[in-house]
Amino acid sequence: MSAEGRRLYWLIQWRRNDGLGALFLVLAAFVVLYAVLFPGIFAVGALAKFVQGWFPTAMVAAAQTIVMLTGGIDLSVGPMVSLGSVVAASTMQGPLGIFGGVLAVLALGACVGAITGSFVAIGRYPAIIVTLALSFVLRGVALLILPRPGGFVPPSLSEFLAGSHPTAAFLLVLFVILWKLYQATPLGIGLIAVGDNAEGAYRSGVNVTAVRLTAYILSGVLVSLTGLYVAAQTGSGDPVIGEPMTLAAIAAAVLGGVGFLGGQGTMRGALAGSLLMSVLINVMFFMGLPLVAQYVVQGLIIVCTVSLPLLRSTWQRAS
Amino acid sequence: MSSRQAILEARNVSKAFFGNQALRNVSIELIPGRIHALLGENGAGKSTLINLLSGALTPDSGEILVDGQAVTLAPRDAHRLGVAVVQQELSLAPHLSIAENIGLGAYPRRWGLVDYGRLAALVEEIGGQLGLIESRDTPVNRLPTGRRQVVEIAKALAIKPRVLILDEPTSSLAAPDVAMLMSLIRRLRGESVAILYISHRLNEIIDFCDYVTVLKDGAVTADRALVGLDPSGLVRLMVGRDPQNLFPHYAPQFAEDLVLEATNFRSGGATGVDFRLRRGELLGIGGLVGHGQEDFMLGLYAAAPAKADHFWARGGDGSVRTAPFAGVTEANMSGVAYVPADRRKEGLFLPHSIDFNLLLPSFARHAAERRQSAKEQGITEALARRLNIRGDRRRPVQVLSGGNQQKVVVSKWLPLEPSVLLLNDPTRGVDVETKREIYVALRAMAAEGKAVVLLSTDTPELVHLCDRVMVFHKGRIAATLDHAEASEEAIVAAAMGLSNAHAREGATV
Repeated sequence: MSAEGRRLYWLIQWRRNDGLGALFLVLAAFVVLYAVLFPGIFAVGALAKFVQGWFPTAMVAAAQTIVMLTGGIDLSVGPMVSLGSVVAASTMQGPLGIFGGVLAVLALGACVGAITGSFVAIGRYPAIIVTLALSFVLRGVALLILPRPGGFVPPSLSEFLAGSHPTAAFLLVLFVILWKLYQATPLGIGLIAVGDNAEGAYRSGVNVTAVRLTAYILSGVLVSLTGLYVAAQTGSGDPVIGEPMTLAAIAAAVLGGVGFLGGQGTMRGALAGSLLMSVLINVMFFMGLPLVAQYVVQGLIIVCTVSLPLLRSTWQRAS
Repeated sequence: MSSRQAILEARNVSKAFFGNQALRNVSIELIPGRIHALLGENGAGKSTLINLLSGALTPDSGEILVDGQAVTLAPRDAHRLGVAVVQQELSLAPHLSIAENIGLGAYPRRWGLVDYGRLAALVEEIGGQLGLIESRDTPVNRLPTGRRQVVEIAKALAIKPRVLILDEPTSSLAAPDVAMLMSLIRRLRGESVAILYISHRLNEIIDFCDYVTVLKDGAVTADRALVGLDPSGLVRLMVGRDPQNLFPHYAPQFAEDLVLEATNFRSGGATGVDFRLRRGELLGIGGLVGHGQEDFMLGLYAAAPAKADHFWARGGDGSVRTAPFAGVTEANMSGVAYVPADRRKEGLFLPHSIDFNLLLPSFARHAAERRQSAKEQGITEALARRLNIRGDRRRPVQVLSGGNQQKVVVSKWLPLEPSVLLLNDPTRGVDVETKREIYVALRAMAAEGKAVVLLSTDTPELVHLCDRVMVFHKGRIAATLDHAEASEEAIVAAAMGLSNAHAREGATV
């Protein structure tokens, strides 16, 4: 790429930080607070554990962001995580072992994503309805396959993904690189164009259907793989383990500046949002608040971050 | 020149929406090296024709031909074949940068990734031609409207078009950009690009177009070289009839007593309006789109916050107010009613019945009472008879044609006996026959002593129907013209900010 091209690319990328400054500041403040409360965090082992705790939230927030950028939303994230963990735990004892399990989970995510995407992109059904309905289906299927937590995840896989190695951190870096590459394809830029102005994008020659369909497939794969990761963490499949993650994914994305109307937001914002939530939950834990308080906090976060820009514009108009 | 093969051609295309025939058997040929003007009043079918030519819509009948071959187009195919459109409604993605928008839909690629090097070069080349000085990484939502239009034009040029369709490209451009665009279009003509140019600025068209197609009510009324035509000749082709026949005989009925008066009335883009309104008066409001007229109407109706140095209004019940209304309900209670421009979104509940839509304002007035179906039927029956709304009124209002929908929006207010009726462009996209019916109805309301304020983008309406016309320019009244003084020339001149004499007069009225 020419120097001019590199310059243009990085300038555009830098511009996307606009409006994220406050989030990064708050995040930095909480990380400092966390480090003060728990000074051991910067040891390699503790850091690896922390990243493992954050990783599933980061991945579902990323998946939610991809869909929200196109102007959609995915309410089936949580049940999909559960189903991913159940499928992983019930296929890995098969003849193909870990490889077969990963393949099954990948296929699950891609198929469910393709089905959701077809309804939304081709059938033009509202994403909120399709994914709400789908969440019931996925929840049911997960319980049919594995009525109670169980199944089998090879300890070697658990040790590799969620043991003392910083695998989760490497996976996160890998994801960010892949995402950067995708964002440099016409389909990736199309995510924002379609969410911003679908009619205009269509008239400009963007394949709106392909953009939306791909978004749901990618998102489905990310979420089902998160299910596999969670199964590795717990060492078994659990048909309800993903339940809180639908809300967590939306909260993290919105906290990261991803808009409900589409076209607005960045992956870095969503990842920062999920990290902030993760840190918050840890801080609350150290302060002795009950674990269920995180639900209250997640809800409050959504309300506050959505209403803040509204309040600000009201003030600006009044002054 | 006409011996050359057309690059893009529509042959006998027709298109209808919800039973409204937007285009009837229209043919048009776009020939390389020719600037082709497309003219027509609002609602004549220009936008529909552009959408057919660019593949955004498919015709009900007839064909679209590229290089003589019949094709079925989607916008992506049209792009590949070199057809670029600069839409009036921007096709930009506000959160993407200028560069990403210019390349959108046709990014230069390498190994599947966007080639930012070639994109930068392309943006540099085209941006240079158009005087696009903004940094290429600026998100489009940071630009003012006029500059967005420049980006839109750059985006169309980025596909190196063989056919360039421009839908009112100059309406939001600043003067230097207009000159730049003109010279660019001339250069493209030299490079054998076929250009279709839509504009309401007749002088622009006379200046630099070669050929004209005129649409009226969805049909072609002229398709000829521009040589030998002057602006009034063009107007005759567009109107195609003596405008007098469309309007009821002018007979003023206004009284001397005021119903509304304000000085330095401010609301949004209306930055200082002095006006008064008499009982039985039909007051026209003109001006180019976006000069504060609409904000003025919304402010009067209290749908937007408004302030005034002096305000005086007499309600239908004789009560007097000395401050602008605090809310829409209050405006309604004082006898002010508003008919919005976008009837489908703001004026109607499309899936609900005609009856329901007609009754809605009355529900608000009688909120505490039980509904009585016999009484309701009586009300809607009378309204339908009065404005000639035919057919079963239990049908959803969306089955009606645009004109009949408009009649529903206007007549629903009548049971409240408003003393001031504000109408925002009520005849936009309405067929000629319904226009006439609406004119007659407005005159009849004035005759009953209601004050009618008619904001219109259709200048003949202002000239022939109204007792008085206030012309807006930059948020203020540039001229107030009596019926005798009002002419299309005077109104257009004032709207462009040309008439100083009238501006002084306007300030004192």
